[in-house]
Amino acid sequence: MKIGIVGTGSMGTTHAEAWAETGAEIAGFVSETVEAAGELAAAYGVRVYPTLGAMLTDVDVVDICTPTHLHYEMVLQAAAAGKDIICEKPLARTEEQALEMVRATGAAGVRLLVAHVVRFFPEYAQARELVAAGKIGRPAVIRLSRGSYRPKKPIGNWFLDEAKSGGILMDLMIHDFDYARWVAGEVESVYARRVSENDPEAAVDYGLAILRHRNGALTHVAGAWAYPPPTFRTALEIAGDQGLIQFDSESSAPITSLLRAVDGEAPDVAIPASPLSESPYTTEIKAFYRALRDGTPAPVSAADGLAAVQIAAAAIESAQSGRVVALEPLTEVSQ
Amino acid sequence: MKIGIMSFAHHHAEAYLHNLQQIAGVQVVGVADADVARGSQLAEQHDLPFFQSYAALIRANPDGVIVTSENSRHLPLVELAADAGVHVLCEKPLATTVEDAGAIVEACADAGVILMTAFPMRFSTPLLAVKRQLAAGELGEVLAIKGVNQGELPTKHRAWFVDPELAGGGAVIDHTVHLVDVMRWYLESEVREVYAQTNRIFHADEVQVETGALEMLTFENGVFATIDASWSRPPYWPTWGGLGFELVTERGAVIVDAFSQNLVVYSHDEQRPTWYNWGSDANQAMIAEFVAAIREERPPRVTGIDGLRAVEVTRAAYESAATGRPVSLEV
Repeated sequence: MKIGIVGTGSMGTTHAEAWAETGAEIAGFVSETVEAAGELAAAYGVRVYPTLGAMLTDVDVVDICTPTHLHYEMVLQAAAAGKDIICEKPLARTEEQALEMVRATGAAGVRLLVAHVVRFFPEYAQARELVAAGKIGRPAVIRLSRGSYRPKKPIGNWFLDEAKSGGILMDLMIHDFDYARWVAGEVESVYARRVSENDPEAAVDYGLAILRHRNGALTHVAGAWAYPPPTFRTALEIAGDQGLIQFDSESSAPITSLLRAVDGEAPDVAIPASPLSESPYTTEIKAFYRALRDGTPAPVSAADGLAAVQIAAAAIESAQSGRVVALEPLTEVSQ
Repeated sequence: MKIGIMSFAHHHAEAYLHNLQQIAGVQVVGVADADVARGSQLAEQHDLPFFQSYAALIRANPDGVIVTSENSRHLPLVELAADAGVHVLCEKPLATTVEDAGAIVEACADAGVILMTAFPMRFSTPLLAVKRQLAAGELGEVLAIKGVNQGELPTKHRAWFVDPELAGGGAVIDHTVHLVDVMRWYLESEVREVYAQTNRIFHADEVQVETGALEMLTFENGVFATIDASWSRPPYWPTWGGLGFELVTERGAVIVDAFSQNLVVYSHDEQRPTWYNWGSDANQAMIAEFVAAIREERPPRVTGIDGLRAVEVTRAAYESAATGRPVSLEV
């Protein structure tokens, strides 16, 4: 299986490391900045293609790790060429685009797997398994939060460009929108607020959303691009009628560093990432690899990617309009 | 100074009684309770006179009373006290309806007596420390607040907490008002819109009121805030519940937990971890403020208006939960 990775930023690099641990072969990278991507490609002994079109004939699977607004055209292009596709989250910038992508890949008979990596973090996967096993009864109120600093990019910060990324509700909070739906089922309505809506010039961004699921469960989602670097923290709480599950990245961190700054260096703090024998990104890519190799269902489908975009798009609409947004059931999702 | 206790329907009355006994120069003149068995037993237990009626307690000429009857039964007791010129500290929520809460405020204003709402969080030392930082401009401008005031099902204290008539609802009326008051105090701005979603999944077989609740408030100054008012803590939780919030400002965020000052105790008696709070007693500071306001003939730091505003937000939350739409509050 020959993999072509589109985009050579942090996600493209991470996916490449993960693919290297599978039986697949990395066949090439696509990057607009061929020179900058050269080092990465050289590490895998492959070439950099200037465009997706130039690479298509040389690969079986296209792994799209580009900014969100580029996903739509690239997925349609890869589908038209009959390639199976892995696409980073969010699947698309808008619900309409995501729907078209799901239909187009379906019509072309190719796979479309969406990289909602939170489903592969062991703490999130285990919590969901416990819920599915009935350990805490029926979920009633779920609380999910995820926060860091404003994304930084050396050039062209597309994260902060609303038209390209969809902002905090689409780019960051979609992780937890997807997780909420995975745990408690389809979402019926969304109500959301965010700082950037009130003040586009604000130094930080922060979003809060209340979801109502069709089964009556409620989910509270908080997303922050508000903390000082290098903070990155996430937390979950799933309260059910027979118990409760909590996770907090701060309190579960197995290593706390209380080191004085080395002379002459600025104080530096380690990001509290839990040490694991396998990166969740690798777990994800391995699962996708097996699903593609064996023709079996993947843990995250195209429909899941579409449903998550639908929730995030509804949150954006709600934050803009101040109204509750009801979600139309999508036949592509319920199938 | 003489203080009376009107009703032990709310279990906080016992805590307040203890608090009163710690203050020099304060004499608990006695207690009255519509539930004579409960009231006389507690009076005997604390070695206090028991009055056969609320009117009899008022005739004993207290300077102030603490009203701790069921939520829907505050108004007649407050009126009785106010008409006799007796100052009032009323348990939260001030009432179960906006009309009753307004009548309570009016009765005390007309009589010229002090009306204080029992919002102990205004006296929480961690919350006061953050309020001081905010006021000094150290935190920058507040942009959003994520609040939690979750608890266990309160029926282990009193059964009426889940009676829609006596309590005025379930989790929403029980756990909205504290955070609304803290937010109004911090922001110095009023709530202009409320959105709420509720459900009854926790304890669905035991109660008829809502047990899960998420709310979003929008303040006049543009700040938005959520409150989780759910009775989501299982009966074997290490404590009754808690109150905390994340304050997001232009400088970043401050995370506050009003009840983190705990010992974690593992005992063969309980067979589970239990939290023993060693923080400063906010109730004690609140009761001291009521006594000081009476002595100094000045308004208390938290008033009946604060109680009324919180009830208005709570009723708007119920309206929103019923209609599925955000509800505006009049300016």
